[in-house]
Amino acid sequence: MSAHVVSMRDALYEAPGPKMRRRIRVVTIFALALIAIGIALVVRQFHITGQLDPRYWTLFTRTTTWAFLAQGFLGTFRVAFTAGAIALVLGLVLMLGRISEAAWLSTVSRLVIDFFRGVPSLLLIYFFYLVIPKYGIKMPSFWMITLPVALAASGVLAEVFRAGVNAVPKGQSEAALSLGMSDSKIMFKIVFPQALRIVIPSLVSQLVVVVKDTTVAYVVSYPDLMQNARVLISNYDALVSMYFVVAIIYIIVNFAINQFSIYLAHRRGTKIISRNDENPV
Amino acid sequence: MGIQELFSTYGENYLQALVQTWSMTAISFSCALVIALAITVFRVSPIKPLRILGDFYVQVFRNIPGVSLLVIIIYALPYLGLTLDYKIGAMVTVTMVVASFASENLMTGINTIGVGQIEAARSVGLSFGRILRHVVIPQAVRSAILPMTNLLIGTLLTTALASQVPLKPPELTGMVNYVNSRSVGGIGAFFISAIGYAGTSLVIGYVGNLIDKKVRILR
Repeated sequence: MSAHVVSMRDALYEAPGPKMRRRIRVVTIFALALIAIGIALVVRQFHITGQLDPRYWTLFTRTTTWAFLAQGFLGTFRVAFTAGAIALVLGLVLMLGRISEAAWLSTVSRLVIDFFRGVPSLLLIYFFYLVIPKYGIKMPSFWMITLPVALAASGVLAEVFRAGVNAVPKGQSEAALSLGMSDSKIMFKIVFPQALRIVIPSLVSQLVVVVKDTTVAYVVSYPDLMQNARVLISNYDALVSMYFVVAIIYIIVNFAINQFSIYLAHRRGTKIISRNDENPV
Repeated sequence: MGIQELFSTYGENYLQALVQTWSMTAISFSCALVIALAITVFRVSPIKPLRILGDFYVQVFRNIPGVSLLVIIIYALPYLGLTLDYKIGAMVTVTMVVASFASENLMTGINTIGVGQIEAARSVGLSFGRILRHVVIPQAVRSAILPMTNLLIGTLLTTALASQVPLKPPELTGMVNYVNSRSVGGIGAFFISAIGYAGTSLVIGYVGNLIDKKVRILR
């Protein structure tokens, strides 16, 4: 959250007088009490259903548990970064096609981008998992999860790149054109380097989407964090604790990526372009 | 199996799947908007614990992978004494995730209004409620149309999570699984579902763009 958010939040209210301050204090205490009661109720529910029993939690004191989870995390990491790298290249190619002067190329690229943006990644995963093998193509489980995740991300990245290219002032390419530079030279020497700088924070924040998409790797039985957690669950019979711990790991990882992208955006003075800010399909 | 054969055998099922996806999308999105409104009110309120609670909600649910939340709601909650129907569980998952993004959209909408406007409104003597009603909300809603359109499409895509639970009838993504477990659906089975999603997104995007053009504030 940038400093701007806080200032707008605070600007909504006048500086409170003594009466208002008292009221705020009362409501604050009331809210605190309600939150405390809520937390207590959740803990109580864990307790009366026996989920706080040490046998569900002692597995987290063993190094083997964490080693196995770390192994799974490495799998998640591998899929996410490979998919991210592929999506980066593919997204760039699709964007170049989309803004090309050739009408047919632009139309085809647009269709491909819209298709990948308009279809859930899970459907693409089922395509690679259920449909492709029917045509006699054998693929390791790593690619059955990585390729669909990459394809889904490439559509979004293409639009992020395009937003970046559009953000470079038009006068620059006009100036380059008047110097006699060719279209491709203008793109790669003038526009794209600047566009890339603008979109780097957005690219980082898209990594969160990729990491989230990898969590269904168990569909193709690739050993990622979630899949390894499921193995541990069947070994230790500790479903509730394990699913909660894994969820917290994912939240922390994604939170860190998000914060990093916000930091980058802040340092470069650019905005993060997310799927929500793009033009809808 | 060709597309024609697929349609004659599974046409009815595909229709049901499409309706299932649509109903889950509509219900989840509406509920998410209501929750997002409440959370956003929390986040801009002067009550510190509520602000923190709102921020916490958003950070947790925008960062949790949908599947991770789904398995907790469907498979872990029954151990804690709360068993939800598969469809309800899937919709709760989608709703909670979408609500966090919707709240972010609303916050961005509020932030596009300059602090100066609030100060101006206050200096002409508008009360807090009136500032909200006449200055903040109209502008925030208008500038949130496009992000919310995208979020509705996002909701549509997120409902694909429901394919991970035995839903009856299955939704569009689950249909690919359903067809392939009964006959060789091949590429056609995938494409019918894909067109169901892409076509719906296209219509939502088109309508959203129209509304946005009508109400957009040119700055």
